[in-house]
Amino acid sequence: MKIQSRIRSRCHYYGRKVLLFLSSVFLLSIVVFYVSRLAPGDPLVSYYGDRVEKMSSEERGRAEERLGLSAPIFVQYVRWLDNAFHGDFGISYKYKMDVVEVIRGRLGNTLILGGIGFFLIFVFSLLLGVLCAWHEGRWIDRVICRVGTIMSCIPEFWLSLVLILLFAVELRVLPSSGAYSIGGDKDLVDRAWHLVLPMTVVVAGHLWYYAYMVRNKMVEEARRDYVLLAKAKGLSKRAMIFRHCLRNVLPSFLSIMAISVPHVLGGTYIVETVFSYPGIGTLSYESARYKDYNLLMLLCLLSGILVILCNIVAQVVNERIDPRMKAEVVWETSRDAARVNGGSESAGENEDAEEGGGEV
Amino acid sequence: MMEDKFQIVGIQNPNEDAPNQVDIGRQEGVRPIFPRVVPIQKPRRHRDKPILAIVLLLTIVTGCLACEMIMTKDPAYMDLKNYNLPPNGEFLFGTDSMGRDVFSMIWYGGRVSLFIGVLSTLASTAIAVVFGAASGIAPGWLDELLMRLTEILLSVPSLLLVVLIQAILGEANVFSISLVIGVTSWTSIAKVVRTEVRGLRESEYVIASKCMGGGFFHILWHHLAPNFVSSIMFMVVMNVRGAIVAESTLSFMGIGLPLHVISWGSMLSLSEKALLTNSWWMILIPGIFLVVTLLSITSLGNFLQKSINAKQSNL
Repeated sequence: MKIQSRIRSRCHYYGRKVLLFLSSVFLLSIVVFYVSRLAPGDPLVSYYGDRVEKMSSEERGRAEERLGLSAPIFVQYVRWLDNAFHGDFGISYKYKMDVVEVIRGRLGNTLILGGIGFFLIFVFSLLLGVLCAWHEGRWIDRVICRVGTIMSCIPEFWLSLVLILLFAVELRVLPSSGAYSIGGDKDLVDRAWHLVLPMTVVVAGHLWYYAYMVRNKMVEEARRDYVLLAKAKGLSKRAMIFRHCLRNVLPSFLSIMAISVPHVLGGTYIVETVFSYPGIGTLSYESARYKDYNLLMLLCLLSGILVILCNIVAQVVNERIDPRMKAEVVWETSRDAARVNGGSESAGENEDAEEGGGEV
Repeated sequence: MMEDKFQIVGIQNPNEDAPNQVDIGRQEGVRPIFPRVVPIQKPRRHRDKPILAIVLLLTIVTGCLACEMIMTKDPAYMDLKNYNLPPNGEFLFGTDSMGRDVFSMIWYGGRVSLFIGVLSTLASTAIAVVFGAASGIAPGWLDELLMRLTEILLSVPSLLLVVLIQAILGEANVFSISLVIGVTSWTSIAKVVRTEVRGLRESEYVIASKCMGGGFFHILWHHLAPNFVSSIMFMVVMNVRGAIVAESTLSFMGIGLPLHVISWGSMLSLSEKALLTNSWWMILIPGIFLVVTLLSITSLGNFLQKSINAKQSNL
């Protein structure tokens, strides 16, 4: 009886989250669809190129009819939604290919760059944060904090430019663009070599902010009474930091990292564009410039879904790890996240982030 | 169980001889706990004030505002005889690939960059405060709806949003780009305002004001704003920074200000060409000005936040 009711409440809980997710995605798709259809710019031009100028109005009408552009927006949306459920997101006007195909070719590259970058940020920020908290107030702590402040003020695109200037133009040791040399797409070493600079920028751009956050949380934790008790018990500093402080800091850090996925993603998009790395970032930049609606819409949806998913995962993680965190307290994390997005790197953040755009 | 297990170090057993108590501090092996000298911290008045940042920021701002007095050339004039020159006596920071004097462009363009930063922050803060306060005061369901909306806005790729709005507004100029950046960057402040207002709305003075017929904007301005200003101050300052970065990134990628409107971002949009000719000054100089400005704004923001932990560490 008791177990049953628990299962029911568990189902209820996850059901609510799924419902939340679906409704957010639905709203997002409406917004994205409407905005991209309302935007000026002639999709016919991107499909037919300059030939559009020479078309008669009759030909134009037929072309619009064929591409489904003549119906009212609402009808277009319903039609699009229906197709989308069948896995058909339309064709890219520019590439003249199925949108899904276009994205599939590029997605892997972005996942490699973003995924490894995200993992490195996670590990290094934790390490640096603990290191700083360990040596709080000493020179190493001060140096790392200072460097972090400076680094977080450097816009990613400029950091990329400087690195290209230094390593690719001046020293000629690292490639400045692309994901692999011509003909070298199967060569792992070559790929890794091309990843070095973009990866450096992604990690260096975001690392400091999160490290600083870990440090501050740890330092705050070190002022709690239980640490004093642990010290009185005679626990070593190592045990106190790793077994007690870090443990208390981890949940909020995890949820903040989950929320900041789009942030990091947005950063990779800019980096991709500067390094002309063939990923989702360059793709969405191109599609925005060429008014390739179908492609752009799917890219937006993908990033949006990722963001919403990460937000919900962060909530669940929080509530699971720490049952005290329910409803109201979730705002606390979103407030932290807001700081993340608004505060730091906005450098990338935000704002400029091609997609994902955390803060902005 | 031995009795000495319950003994507290440093406290003498009352049964022992009195003379021992006098020597307690000097006894071997027994450390006195109380007489520990706590170092008195010197009052640090100037330590946390970002003097350097303020000085740098003031220099850059006054330099940009008074750029007519500093500029040695016309920043828009294309001197086709002297293009792509490295820094020298006549062109202090060199010339770009279109023959414009970088030194003059820095000051002239800085004015645009800073202006965009301030203007778009004003726009986004205004939206955020009104929206956040409305959401905080509103009944539960409306609040939920508004917050959901901001979350969706947060999740739409910002650059896309910027590009789309920009496309609707037509060719980018200083005002349209600040507006666009402002419109896309208010959500995080709005969330903080909403949280603060939710905590404040039940307070007596707000209810009293409502009873006396105070309107939404009256309550917001006179009763709520003074309370949450300090908590959003840091974010507002950071918003200036974010807006400057956004403008330069957009202009750099060729979606923001066009080349002939000089700003730090549009100066950097020539950097693709500069990389080919290895003209470092076209990349480094505008970038350094940008970074120094951002850095000063950041330390100013951190100073405002004043999250100084006065408590001693227990470690």
